[in-house]
Formats: sequence, structure tokens, C-alpha cells
Amino acid sequence: MKKNNLTSMGKSFTKYILIIGVLLILLDFTFHRHEYFSFAEIYGFPAFFGFVSFVFIVLLGKWLRKFLMRKEDYYDQ
Amino acid sequence: MISNIIPGLLMILTSFLLPTIPQYFRQPAMLLSVGLSALSLFNGYGTFLEWDVLGLNLILYQSDSLTFPFSIIFHIAAVLVIIFSWHSKNLMEHMATIAYAGSAIGALHAGDFFSLFIWWEATALTSVFIVFAGNTKAARDAAMRYLIIQVSSGVMLLIGACLLLYQTGNHNLTVLDLTTDFGIFIFIAFGIKAAFPFLNGWLQDSYPESSVTGTVALSAFTTKLAIYALARTFPGTDSLIWIGAIMTAFPVFFAVIENDLRRVLSFSLNNQLGFMVVGIGIGTELSLNGTVAHAFVHIIYKALLFMSMGAVLYRAGTTKASELGGLYKYMPFTTIFCIIGAMSISAFPLFSGFVAKSLIMSSLGGMGMVLIYFVLFFASAGVLEHSGIKIPYFAFFAHERKSKVKEAPINMLIAMGIAAFLCIGIGVFPKYLYQILPYTVEYQPYTIDHVISQLQLLVFAIIAFLFLVKFKLYPSEIKSTVLNSDWFYRKMLPGIGKPLFKKIGLLTEFIYENLRFFFRLILNKSHKFSNSSYIKVTTPSFAATILISILFIMLLIVLL
Repeated sequence: MKKNNLTSMGKSFTKYILIIGVLLILLDFTFHRHEYFSFAEIYGFPAFFGFVSFVFIVLLGKWLRKFLMRKEDYYDQ
Repeated sequence: MISNIIPGLLMILTSFLLPTIPQYFRQPAMLLSVGLSALSLFNGYGTFLEWDVLGLNLILYQSDSLTFPFSIIFHIAAVLVIIFSWHSKNLMEHMATIAYAGSAIGALHAGDFFSLFIWWEATALTSVFIVFAGNTKAARDAAMRYLIIQVSSGVMLLIGACLLLYQTGNHNLTVLDLTTDFGIFIFIAFGIKAAFPFLNGWLQDSYPESSVTGTVALSAFTTKLAIYALARTFPGTDSLIWIGAIMTAFPVFFAVIENDLRRVLSFSLNNQLGFMVVGIGIGTELSLNGTVAHAFVHIIYKALLFMSMGAVLYRAGTTKASELGGLYKYMPFTTIFCIIGAMSISAFPLFSGFVAKSLIMSSLGGMGMVLIYFVLFFASAGVLEHSGIKIPYFAFFAHERKSKVKEAPINMLIAMGIAAFLCIGIGVFPKYLYQILPYTVEYQPYTIDHVISQLQLLVFAIIAFLFLVKFKLYPSEIKSTVLNSDWFYRKMLPGIGKPLFKKIGLLTEFIYENLRFFFRLILNKSHKFSNSSYIKVTTPSFAATILISILFIMLLIVLL
């Protein structure tokens, strides 16, 4: 039981966050969301933007490791 | 009487007295000095103290609507740091901290560039002892680099101030632009402390090397003092919009791969400064309000995040993500406070970051700056990544922990509790924050459009995180050093300089050897000459021969 604490927490967190996500998208259909720029008013635009940005940041960051990552004692050498 | 004392000065005096005060009364004495200094907040606006010295009129104490909010938050930050470090017996660090906070508060109230310069250097000289107090070799090395960079910023400021006085006859704090040489010097001076792109290396280099409590103090003052100074002298400078946008976006990638969580927070601090710099660059009343509001809330939640990582370092002995995880079970309060800080910095509605960042985003949107708007929107997803998710996830969750640790000491929990309370309080009741901003602007952050838009961004960014973890695309933490702009002076310059100086050294040695040989030759010859038997009567003494030859060489040099 104790061993699975984190996994079960993670699972229920995922479940709730997905429900909230779906609700937020559905809310977009119930009213017209005013934005400063018209293209941002497309249904679910901020959601899409957030998802893509996040994936982009993480994957580009991971790729940048090739150039930026050194050993822990790099500056002591 | 007290109304004429420069705010912060009492705190510096307390710092000098601290060694004479018994251990258990040190923190109360420090709190008292902050309280007395805070009385200045009730003085209202105006010029309270001037000093004519060497024909210059120094404005030592002035306050207006821009200094006021900064002064409030600097006092709050000082209180938080004192409570957080209540358990510590490190006298040097306490002295440095209270003097550092006092200097920063004093700097806010300087009315001319020369007074500002004095305080500017005072913050550098006091804060370097905080880095020193990290008390490791890495900390001492970082402190020396930190000092060099900070003092160069001061020198730039002094050059700018002198040029300003020489060219215009005025040295008061005024709005400057980048068409003048003094403007550029002062801009760079502020830019170094505000951690502009490529001038930012010192921040990520030194802050994470400081002690458990030191980093909290460092995170509050220097950079925000620079933001204040930029807001006062360069509002509406277009280039700041671009500089700020770069600052928001770039540190995000570094933060993804950095292993030391306090260094991640330092990158995050850099990214947050970017938002403030953009606000200064736009230069409207709304955007400047946004910058001040953001600096205000940022100091609290950034201190909260650094405090939570300080508590982790104190109890678990490291802030390396690769060695942490599962602390939620042992440090539940710290976990909750850290999550509150994380949600505030990520700008979740009802948290302080939301009500401040909205002002800057709205002013960008209102001006139709679509590209910058989306760079900042993108950076918001980045903030969520490194400060909102990475910090709490890797420290407190990620995987179960085998060895037990204790919850943070009570004083740390109190300090974190106050900060967390302020984060939520400001988020729920933004009007109290808006009331103290420099300009009166009607603004409503909680519109349905805005709340839904922000929530969609954040929630789907979290979903993206879960997705990446699920498919094992999220980079695992690796013990490593991530190169940053300090690489230029830590590796590149020594890389070029060391062999170069070695070559120069060899060359000078060669020249020296030859000269020595040459002189010895003259010496020997003249000795022989003066001692030769057959011209002894007419020749001068040995000393005179040397003198004559020197005169002869000088004559040659003059003639040539």
C-alpha cells in the first residue's frame, strides 16, 4: 500500500487534471472568449498553445544538452 | 527626528552593533531596526535630506510613488529573511544580511546618481559576504567573481554619473535615453545588476552557492533594485522590450536541464526579471504599474521558493534534483508552501503572480504587440515548467525516499507561512496591491476571458508534462554543469588569457636575460678598463666609468 502511494497520487492527479482540461475546453464553447488578438479567440487556442509550448521547451531543452551540458566538476578542472 | 534618517541606515548601524549583542537578542534587534526603518513609510512623499558636499548637492533621502511600493516590499523581505534565519548562529551572515537589506532600502531613496552609486556599491560589498558565508570553496570562488562583476557595475554607474554631471551640469535621477554616452554607461550598469542577456552569468553562478538562508536574502534585493533604477531612468526605452522578451524566453531552456534546484530558481528569477523589463520598455502607466506589481509579488514568491529549497537543503543536505524526491512525506508543510509559491509564480488565478503579470500582458495586448505578447505567453508556459512543476516535483515527489528527514525548523515554517499567506492574500484581494502602485489605474484582472485563457494555458501545459513523463520523453535529471554566460569569463577568457600571458612571460624573460647579459658585459669591460695598469693615472674611478656610460646611453636615447 505504502509503496504505491506516489503512483496512486499521480494517477488521481492525472485524472482530475484531465477532467479540468476537458471542462475548460467545453467552457470555451459556452461563451465568446475575448482576446487582444482575434486568432487567439479560436476554441481552445490557449490550451493548444500551452501544450505545444511546454513540449517544445522540454524537447528543445533536452536537445540543448548536447551543447550546454558538461561534467559536474567542469569548472574545477 | 526619525523622519530625517535615511531609511535603511538604522539597519546598517544595527549590523555594526550586532557583535556586541548577545546571541538570542540579535534577531529581535534586527527586526526592531527593520521596524524603525519602516516608520519612514509613513513620511509621505518629498525630499527629506540633502547634503552639500564638494560643491555637489546630494539628495540622500527622497521618496515618491515609485520608491514607496519598493520600500514596502524590501522591508517585508528583510523581515522574512530575519525570521527564516532565526536558527542560524552565523554572525557574519546576519551582519551582512541586515546591512545588505539596509543598503538596498537606502538606495531606493537616493535622489541623485552619486548617492545612488554609494548605495549601489554598498549593496555589492555587503552581499558578497552573504555569498562568502556559503563557506565552501565553490562559494568563496563564486563570491570573488560576484564581487568583480558587481563592482564593475558600480564603476560603470560612476563613469555615467560623472559624464552626466560634466556634460549637463546635473546629476539628479532623471529620465535618460540611449542616445547619450552617459545614458549607455548607466544603462549597462543597471543592466548588469538586472541580469540582462549575457550579463546574467553572475546570478546563476553565485546565488546557488550561498548558504541555506543567504540565497533568500540575495534573491530579494539586488536585481529588484536594478529594476527600480531602470523604471526610474529608462521608462519607455524600446530596446528594453526586446531585451526583456529575450530574458523571459532563454533562461527557460537552461532551467529545464539544470540539476541544482536552487540554480533552476536562479534561472527562473532571470526569466521573471524579463517580464518586469518588458513592462519598463513599454513605459505606459499600466505597464509600469505592472512592473512594480510584478516586482512586489515576485520578491515574495521567489523568496518563498528559495526558502522551501533552503529548508530542503538544510534537512536533506542537497538541492540536486538527481538526489532528491519523495520529501512530501517528511516535510509536508514545506511541500505545501512550496506548491503555493509554485502556483503563484506560474500565475494561477487567485495567486499573486496572476494579478501582477496580467497588468503587463494587458498593456502589451492593448498596444497590439503581438509577437512580444506571445513570447511572454510562451515564457509563462516555461515558468510553469521550471518553477511550477520541476521544483516541487523533483524535490518532494518524483519517487519514494528511502532515508528519513525532519520537517523544517519552526522559524523557517513561520517565514514560509507568512510568504504563502501574502501570495494568496494578494491573489484574492489584488486591490490592496493596486492601491500602492505608482499610478492610479482602474484594472480588473479577474475577467472570465482572462481567467479561462490562463487556466487553459496552465492546465494543458501540465497535461503536456504528464504526457511527456508517461511516454518517457521528459529528460531525467543528470548530475551536470550547464554552461551559462559566466562561461565566457570562467573558461573562455582564461583559456585565451593563460597561454597568452605565458607567452608574454616567456618573451619578457628572454628580453630580461639579454639585457642582463648586456649590462654585465658593460660592467666587466668598465671594470677591466678602470683597473688596467697603463692608463691608471688618467682614468676615472669605476663608479665614474659607470656614470659616464649611463649618461652616454641617455644621450643616445635623447638623440634618437
